[in-house]
Amino acid sequence: MTASITARALQKVFIDEGRGEVRAVDGVDFECRPGEIFGLLGANGAGKTTTLRMLSTILQPTAGTATVMGHDIVTQPELVRRHLGFYSASTALYPRLTARETIEFFARVNGYPADRIAARVGALVERFGIGAYAKARVDKLSSGMKQKVSIARTVAHDPPVLIFDEPTVGLDVINALDMQQVIAEFRAEGKAIVFSTHIMSEAERLCDRIAIINGGRILACDTLAALREATGHRYLEDIFVHFVRPEQAMPATGGRA
Amino acid sequence: MTLDAAVVRTLLGHEIRMLLRDRRTVLFSVVLPLMLMPLMMFGSQAMEKRRQQRLQAAEYSFIVTGPAADEVRPLIDRTMARLREERARGGEALRVAQSVSADAIGALKRGEVDFVVEASKTADVPVVTVVKRGDTERSSRAAARWRDALRETRRENRAALLATAGLPVPVAEVAVVKDAGIATQGQVAGLTLGRLLTLMLLMFLLTGGSSVATDSLAGEKERGTLETLLTTAAGRTEIVTAKLLAVVIVALTTTVIQVGNLLIYVGFKIIPAGAGFSAAIHPAATVVVLALFLPLAALAASGLLLVSGHARTYKEAQFLFLPVFLGGMVPALAAFLPGVALRSAIVAVPIANVSVAVKEILTGRFDWPMLVAVFVVNAAAAAWLVRLTVRALSTERLIAPTASDTMAALGGAPLFGRHVFRWFAVLFALLIVTSSYLGQAHVRVQVSFNLLLLFPGVAALALWHYRLAPRETLALRPVKPAVWLAVLIGAPAGLLTGIAVFRLAALLFPVPPQMLEAFSKALLPEDFPLWQAVLFVAVLPGIVEELVFRGLFLHGLTRRFHPVAAVVVVGLMFGLVHVSLFRLLPTAYLGMLLASVTLVTGSVFPAMLWHFLNNLLSVSSGALDIPWGSFGADVYGAAAAALALSGWILWRNRTPYPGLRG
Repeated sequence: MTASITARALQKVFIDEGRGEVRAVDGVDFECRPGEIFGLLGANGAGKTTTLRMLSTILQPTAGTATVMGHDIVTQPELVRRHLGFYSASTALYPRLTARETIEFFARVNGYPADRIAARVGALVERFGIGAYAKARVDKLSSGMKQKVSIARTVAHDPPVLIFDEPTVGLDVINALDMQQVIAEFRAEGKAIVFSTHIMSEAERLCDRIAIINGGRILACDTLAALREATGHRYLEDIFVHFVRPEQAMPATGGRA
Repeated sequence: MTLDAAVVRTLLGHEIRMLLRDRRTVLFSVVLPLMLMPLMMFGSQAMEKRRQQRLQAAEYSFIVTGPAADEVRPLIDRTMARLREERARGGEALRVAQSVSADAIGALKRGEVDFVVEASKTADVPVVTVVKRGDTERSSRAAARWRDALRETRRENRAALLATAGLPVPVAEVAVVKDAGIATQGQVAGLTLGRLLTLMLLMFLLTGGSSVATDSLAGEKERGTLETLLTTAAGRTEIVTAKLLAVVIVALTTTVIQVGNLLIYVGFKIIPAGAGFSAAIHPAATVVVLALFLPLAALAASGLLLVSGHARTYKEAQFLFLPVFLGGMVPALAAFLPGVALRSAIVAVPIANVSVAVKEILTGRFDWPMLVAVFVVNAAAAAWLVRLTVRALSTERLIAPTASDTMAALGGAPLFGRHVFRWFAVLFALLIVTSSYLGQAHVRVQVSFNLLLLFPGVAALALWHYRLAPRETLALRPVKPAVWLAVLIGAPAGLLTGIAVFRLAALLFPVPPQMLEAFSKALLPEDFPLWQAVLFVAVLPGIVEELVFRGLFLHGLTRRFHPVAAVVVVGLMFGLVHVSLFRLLPTAYLGMLLASVTLVTGSVFPAMLWHFLNNLLSVSSGALDIPWGSFGADVYGAAAAALALSGWILWRNRTPYPGLRG
């Protein structure tokens, strides 16, 4: 099956006033196929968000390239965004729109066929249980409700590719589990999903393949089973430390903890 | 780049909907101006009316003085009698009362009388001068009306004299001079209106559009919705275009409301309009003027949007609007320039060309090719600003929340490095303000206020606000013993070297002698005891100014700039706070030396001693008559060598300042 996302030698250099030249992303390669959850696992500042922002064309790469559904992120950014839904803790909703208006607006602006928008919005409202507060303004909603509306607006135009940048940051346990479940459902629908997190258990539970990213570079990228085999560690935490801080790593346990 | 019209439409509808749901925007751009405008007009009209009435009803007192006072008294008495008669007939003649004083001008100065009639004598004719106080309206008005009354009396006298001499000339007929012009009343009113119209409308456009512009970009950034919007299929150009249209629509709507509002008041004659006002508003002219205001509206909107795009928060955007307002208003004044025709270089200047064009149109001149050029120039300028705004949406530091935003949100130590200039500006402003109050006070009071209250106060506030660690920020660190030796050598050497450098410079270009003197002489009053001079001029500045400049400000600047740049900037800041042109360079030089010492030793203490010694030597120049400024080349050469030696010792014993860049 061909990949929905391919990143090749992606690089992003920032000029920071305080720190000078910062290589936030330094040559990242990966692919993500339909029906797959690809996890970017890294600490804060590892380059996860910058990578995902380049994929969603908010930022321009300094070097390297990437395609989404065959469209180049630099030369065809509009087409890329049309096929992509981007969710992060920092993508806020319009406080003055109602939940229903929000979903409708994002479906329309992302070019979803006009004659099918009403049906699509109705389906999403039902699927995410928004019905009770569909007519309430977003600024009146609780954070859990907002989260549901946010997910609905991310997939409003039914994109084949979804990007979740640390979607569970700041959520309580129940909402975080809901989020994981929803992402798993999207995988079942055949969407290609890139998912970034710094929470090991989340990556373990959700991701088909995991890329361990640190200092803007992918240090390892494989299925959890293959990573366990390669490092001899059982837990993802140990695997992570094995790559990121080799000098602090626990001795290998041979896969039996 | 092609625009997707459907996307723009969707976005525009979205913008307008959001806008109408924002009570703050609606209030500030429509309701408030709608109510404020008539209030302002009524208010100013009522005030003016009251003022006129009071000036009319008042009784003005005056004094007759001068060598020819007795000779002109009949003229004055007759004038007063005539004014009384006129008032008795119900006229609005001036009410005056004579007063007496030996010192007439003094009485006028003290405000005891409103004007003085000075009668002097040249040759045989008495000359009457009406002396007024030009700085009060009461006196100026009374004097002018009195002068007119005197002239009128004299004219009547002359006519009476001529009549008694058998020459009944109708003087009044001969004396009348008529004013005639070939412009129609409409053209004259058009000139008045035409000069003001662009300025007024631009003001409406900018005030009406600003709250929407702020909300639609800076506000979206602040709320985090811009990032959401940027991940949709809508392109940046489409986003900016939709926002621009929204701002234009609101700006035009509020302008139309404002103008309509104004016209209603004028129409019902609640606000008086000049004669020929309605004649100036010709249908054809109105259409052309409106056509020219369209690109002007787009230009104003795109300017506002550009600023909003470059701000990351609501507050920052509002802060940036002031220069846009000023930058927009100044060219709009072009119509007031005398003799500037549209058919000149002004046609290439956006806003200014509209201003001139509107004036010409309203006075009946239609220079069609130039009018087309005006339209094109403003539309092109607007398009260019839109492009810049689109680019701002691609500029990462403006769209993506980065480390610095977290810093800004959290406050804290790293942020101070970015705010050093603000704090310095505050300090400087306070210094200027207080020095204007304390200017007359004794040096003791001035120095005490600045060094014991102002400087420490600002520094303490900054430390507290950013939660800066005092020891680290103020560089309160111990130094190696050898450093003290270097300072003892360096301070006098630095003083002499500075003088030498400026004396050398004086050979190349004129250096004011005061500047050379400022190096070595502390300006002290005669009655200053030596111990006080030492305390106020050497000890206190040595401690306090070092803590503020080589401590706080240098620390902040090194977080952001290369050490060399930080040294130069601290030196200039130090020079500036001495608020004296001649002392600027000498004190800046000293400030740079002290900053270098602090960076090399990693501590503020050596700079304190150096500063103390330097000022002590300056005091001694006055008190002990040591001619620092007039030694021979050999002494200055030795000083340079000593300074180099001091620098070498410091460098050998260096304890670098932590966290330097580069």
